[in-house]
Amino acid sequence: MASALKRDQQRAIGALLTPALIIIVVFTTIPALTTLSYAFFGWEGFKRTTFVGFENFQLLFQYPYLDQFKAALKHNTIAFVVIMAFQTSIGLLLAYAMFRVKRGLRFYRVVVFLPVIFSLVVVGYLWQALLDPYYGPINQILTGIGFPELAKPWLGDTATALPSLMFINLWRWVGFPAIVFLAGLNAINQEFLEAARIDGASEGQIFRKVIFPLLAPSLTIITVLTFIGAYEWFDLPFVLGGSNGSPAGSTDTLALMFYRLSFGSIDSGANNVGVGSALGVLIFTLVGLGAALGSNLLRRREVEQ
Amino acid sequence: MKIKRFRGLVAALLAVTAVVIPGATSASAATELTFWSWRTEDKAFYENQIKLFQAKNPDITVKFTPYLNTEYNAILATALTAGKGPDIIQMRPYGGMSNLSDAGNFMPLTAAEVPALKKLPAGILAAAQGYKDKKQYGLPYAVSALGIMYNPDILEQSGVRALPQTWAQLMEAFNKVKKAGFLPIGNAGGNGPALEQLHATIGPTFYGGTSFFNDVVAGKKAFTDKAYVASLKAVADIAKYMPANYQGIDYNTMRGLFANEKAAFYIGGNYEIGYFRSLNPSLNIGWFPAPKANAGAKRYVGTWADGSYAINAKTANKAAALKFLNFLGTKEFGQALVDEIAFIPTAPYVKINDQAVKEINRWRTTLGTPFLNVVGFRYESPTSSSILQPGFQKLIVGGTTPEQLAKDVQTAVASWYAPQKGKS
Repeated sequence: MASALKRDQQRAIGALLTPALIIIVVFTTIPALTTLSYAFFGWEGFKRTTFVGFENFQLLFQYPYLDQFKAALKHNTIAFVVIMAFQTSIGLLLAYAMFRVKRGLRFYRVVVFLPVIFSLVVVGYLWQALLDPYYGPINQILTGIGFPELAKPWLGDTATALPSLMFINLWRWVGFPAIVFLAGLNAINQEFLEAARIDGASEGQIFRKVIFPLLAPSLTIITVLTFIGAYEWFDLPFVLGGSNGSPAGSTDTLALMFYRLSFGSIDSGANNVGVGSALGVLIFTLVGLGAALGSNLLRRREVEQ
Repeated sequence: MKIKRFRGLVAALLAVTAVVIPGATSASAATELTFWSWRTEDKAFYENQIKLFQAKNPDITVKFTPYLNTEYNAILATALTAGKGPDIIQMRPYGGMSNLSDAGNFMPLTAAEVPALKKLPAGILAAAQGYKDKKQYGLPYAVSALGIMYNPDILEQSGVRALPQTWAQLMEAFNKVKKAGFLPIGNAGGNGPALEQLHATIGPTFYGGTSFFNDVVAGKKAFTDKAYVASLKAVADIAKYMPANYQGIDYNTMRGLFANEKAAFYIGGNYEIGYFRSLNPSLNIGWFPAPKANAGAKRYVGTWADGSYAINAKTANKAAALKFLNFLGTKEFGQALVDEIAFIPTAPYVKINDQAVKEINRWRTTLGTPFLNVVGFRYESPTSSSILQPGFQKLIVGGTTPEQLAKDVQTAVASWYAPQKGKS
C-alpha cells in the first residue's frame, strides 16, 4: 500500500517535471550540445563546412584572439573580485541596516531595490550622460568644486572605463544581495540572537559570531550568482562600450568576444562561428566547473540552525 | 468563481482568434511582402515610398520593419539561418553580409530580371556580390564619400581665409581656430569606427590611395609599408586638436560639437550631413576633400557603396518581391532617396539637386579611392577594421605606436587573406 502510494507520487512528480524537462532539453541542452559540435567544424560565414577537429581552439589561442581572450578573461576576473568585494559587502551592510531599522523598512527596501528593476539600457544611457566628459554633470561638479584634475573621460579612458562600469554595476545591482541577505537575516531564529545578548555578547560579536555564519546559505547563493554573472558579463559593457569593448578593448569581456566572433560586429565586419563556438565551450566549461566547485566548497562551511 | 474564470478564458480565446483570423483571410487577397532594414531613421521615407508602390500594385502590400543598427546583422543572420527572415532585405556592403550571401541566403539577381543593374558601374555592383561566387545578390542604392566638413562662419571668425590644400595648411587652420576660442575638430576618440573613418578620410594621401589599395589587395605591398605607417601617424598627430578629454567623447557628442557650432571641422562621411541638419537646421556646412600630405602627394576621397536591396532566397513570393525590387531601382525612387535623405545615389541617371551633395559627388567622381578596410578586408575574421578600431583608440592616447599597429593589422589580415599569407 505504502509503496503503491509512493509509486503514484513518483508518477505525479514525473508528470509535473516533464514539461520543465522538455523545455530545458529543447532550449538549453540541445543548443549547448550543438554549440559544442559547431566548435569542431569549419565555417564560411553562417554555413558549416567540414570537420576540422581542434583547429578552432588552436585559432583561439593565436593572435589576435589570444590577446583578446587574455584581456577579456582578466576583465571578467577583476569584475568578479571587485563585485564580490564591494557589491556583496555593501549589500550585506544595507541588509543589516534594514534588518535593524525600526521604521520605514518598506521605503528603504524599495529605494535599495529600485535600480535592480530599471531597464539596463536605460541605466546605461543614464550613466553615459552623467559621465559624459563634455556635457556630463559629474565632471562639471568636480570642476565646479575645485577639482578639475579629477574630471576625467571616465568611460573613454582605458584606465577608468572598467572601474566605471563596475561602479555602475554596483549602483544597479547592490539591491539584489541586500534583499537576499535581508531574507536570510529574517530567517534567522531570533532565539539565537536573544541567547547571545543574554550571554552578554556585543552587537559586533553577535554579527560576526552568530549572524554571519547563519547567513552562509545566502552568501553561497550570492557568491555563485556573482561568479556566473561576472564571467558572463555582457549587457552593461555592451550598452556602454559596444561589442568591441571600447575604448581600445579595455571593457572587453568573454561574452562580448563570443558575441562578436559568432555574429560579427556591424562596424568591423566578418564573424567566425567556429572560433566563437570554441570560445563558448570554454566559457561554459569555466563557468560550469567554477560554479559547481564553488557552491560545493561554500556549502561545506554552511552551519545548520 | 470557477465559471467567471472560464468565461474570462473564452473571452481571451475569442480575442486571440479575432486577431489571428483576419490576418489569415487577407493573405489570400493580397501578397504581403516583408522588408527589413537597419535604417530606423528612414522609416517615414520608406513607408511613404511603399504607399506609392502599393498605389500602382494594389495586389501587393509591403511591411517595412527597421531594426536597431547595431543589432541588425545578428537579427537578420539568426532569422535567415533558421530559414525565415523577410522577403526583401536591406543588405550591408562588401564583407558586411557576404558571409550570408555565401551561405546561400540571398537570391542571385540577373540583369534580365532587374534591369537597373545594367546601369550601375562595376565598382558599385561589387558591393553586393558574393565573396566566393561573385554572383550579384543585391541592387546597390547609395554610395558614401569621406571628406572634411567645415563651418564657414567659424572659419571666418578665426581668420581662416582659404580652405586648406595641404596637411601643413590644415594644421595651420586648426591652430588659428583654436586661438580664436573654438574647437578645431569635433572628432574624438570615444568611438572606434569613427576613428577608422577619420583615418580613411585623411589617410589615403599618405599611403597613396588607389595604387596602394590595388597593391595590398594583390599582395604586392603589406600594411607594414612605410607609407601606410605614415597614414596611421597622421591620426595620432591630429589627436591634439580633439576636444579636451577626447578619449571619452562618444559618437553623438562629437557630432553634436560640430552641429552645435562649437567645432570648426568634422572629418567623416557625407552621411553625417543629414544628422547635422537634424540637430541644427540652420547650420551652414561646407565640404572639401582631405588635403594632400605634401606638395607632391595626391588628394583622395574615400568612397564605397553603402548598401543594397536583396531578396531572400527562400521567399515564397518571388514575383512580387522582384516587382518591388524593380520599384526600388526606378528613377523616381532613386530621386526621392537623394532629395529626401540626401544620399548620394548609385544610379547615374538620378539628378542631384542638393548643393552640398552635388559638390561631394563631383569630388567623389574625380578623386574617389576605395575605403581600404571596407572594400578590401572585411570578408573574414579578424578583419583589418577589428584591429584598427580599438587600435586607433590606443594610438591617440599613446598606448601603441603606428609601427606596432600596422604590424598588428598585417598579422591579422595575413591569417586569412591568401595574397598576404606569410608576408609581414
